[in-house]
Formats: sequence, C-alpha cells, structure tokens
Amino acid sequence: MSVRRNIMQAGDAEEAEEINLTPMLDVVFIMLIFFIVTASFIKEAGIDVDRPTAKTASKQQSASILIAISSNNEIWIDRKRVKPQGVRPAIDKLLAENPEGEVVIQADRESHAEPVLIVMEAARAAGVNNIAVSAEQQ
Amino acid sequence: MSTRLNNLGRALSDNEEESEINLTPMLDVVFIMLIFFIVTASFLKEVGVDAQRPPSVTPDDTKSESITIRITSTNKILVDGRTVDPRAVSSLITRRKAENPDAPLAVLAGKRARTELVVGVIDAAREAGFRSEPIPISPLPE
Repeated sequence: MSVRRNIMQAGDAEEAEEINLTPMLDVVFIMLIFFIVTASFIKEAGIDVDRPTAKTASKQQSASILIAISSNNEIWIDRKRVKPQGVRPAIDKLLAENPEGEVVIQADRESHAEPVLIVMEAARAAGVNNIAVSAEQQ
Repeated sequence: MSTRLNNLGRALSDNEEESEINLTPMLDVVFIMLIFFIVTASFLKEVGVDAQRPPSVTPDDTKSESITIRITSTNKILVDGRTVDPRAVSSLITRRKAENPDAPLAVLAGKRARTELVVGVIDAAREAGFRSEPIPISPLPE
C-alpha cells in the first residue's frame, strides 16, 4: 500500500518537473508571424554610394525602390547595372510588384546631374508619386 | 513485489507520454524560421530630400518673378545670372522668398553638374522654406 502511494507521488513529481511550453510557443509564433509580415521586400540597388549631405534630410517612410548612381554615372537597380534606356522598364517591373512604392535615388556626390534627371523622368513617367534623393543628415 | 509494481507504473507513464504529441521538432523548425526572419529583416532607414521632375517645363515658361537657380556643368551656381557661393544660396533664397512669398522655385541642373551641388541647392531651398512640396528640378538647356 505504502509502496503504491510512493509510486503515485513520484509520477506527480515528474509531471510537475515538465515545463509547459505552450505560452512560449504562442509568443514564438506571434514573433514569427510579425517578422514574416514585416519582411519588407525592399529592392536594394546593390552598390554602396557616398551620399551627399543635407541639413533638411528627412526619413523616407515607404521607400521601397532604391536606384543607385555610382560616381562614374552608372545606374544600378535591383543589383543590376541598367542602361539609361532600361530605367523605365526596370521601374515599371518593380512598381508592378509594389504599386505604392516610392523611389529613392541614391546618387553619389561625385555623380553628374544627367543620370539623376534621367531616373527622375523615368520614375515620373512610370507614375511614381514620391521621388527623393538620398542624403546623409548633416 | 516492489519491482513488479514499479514496472506497472512505468508502463502507465509510457502510455501517457505516447498520447502526447512531441512538439520538439516543430519547435526547432519554428525557431530556425524565427531566427532566419529576424536576421533577414532589413529595417531600412533611408533619409533624403524630396525632389521631382516637373512635366516638361522649359525655363521660358517660368514666370519672371520665379526664383530660378541654375547649376551649370562647370559646377557654378547662378541665381539671376550671378554666380553665388554654395553656402550663400540658402540666405539668398530666404531673401527672395521674403520679397515675394508666392514666387515658385525652379532648379535647373546642367548635365555634368555634380549631385553634391544639386542636393546642396535642394537642401538650401528646403531650409529657406520650400518644404511643403518636392523641389522641381529640370535639365538646364545648354
């Protein structure tokens, strides 16, 4: 009799030792869903540029299409080098994936105004409402 | 006697464990996915100045009272035909805006003008009060 009671107590103790994983699992799932949803599908330009500085630079909220212009005036979109004539189709393609996308031109401080204006013209023609030139806060 | 009871107890608890689903492999997968999404989450912080290309406005269309800033291919800044130091652009625009608050602004950039100067002029214009809408930039006819 006493032996049986001992066994039952041992079983109770084993159950108490096991940690209940359900709340942690809930939290982990919520975090997982959050990160999947917020995984912003930003198309990075693919090159690093030396940005000009500006005192009035403001944060661009929904920047999703990044177009870089290197110091030797090459245009880079979505990790590929693009010819000036190819800018409009490239923007059209990215805009189809993200219709609310804003264009941010990351122009090197040594680049010329011509490619910047070509990209601006193409973005405006593609129907992008908000175009910004990337700058560093001074 | 006691060993037989022990065996019975073990068999009972084994049975209970079998009815519970083992969550550990799923937890492993979920954690790996979680870590993947945390690592790849790019919280992009892009700062910049708003600019736009106005629909084909030639400088002749702009009214005479408009503030026109020309940046030539030789990297000179011209306001009303006079060469201006890049640092003086902001105060000059502020003065012109005070004289004529409704004057529109136009920035004309030469093909070979450096982006640093163009952004500097946009920055100066924004500093002088043209913040509500993007600064229009057009190519400078040469």
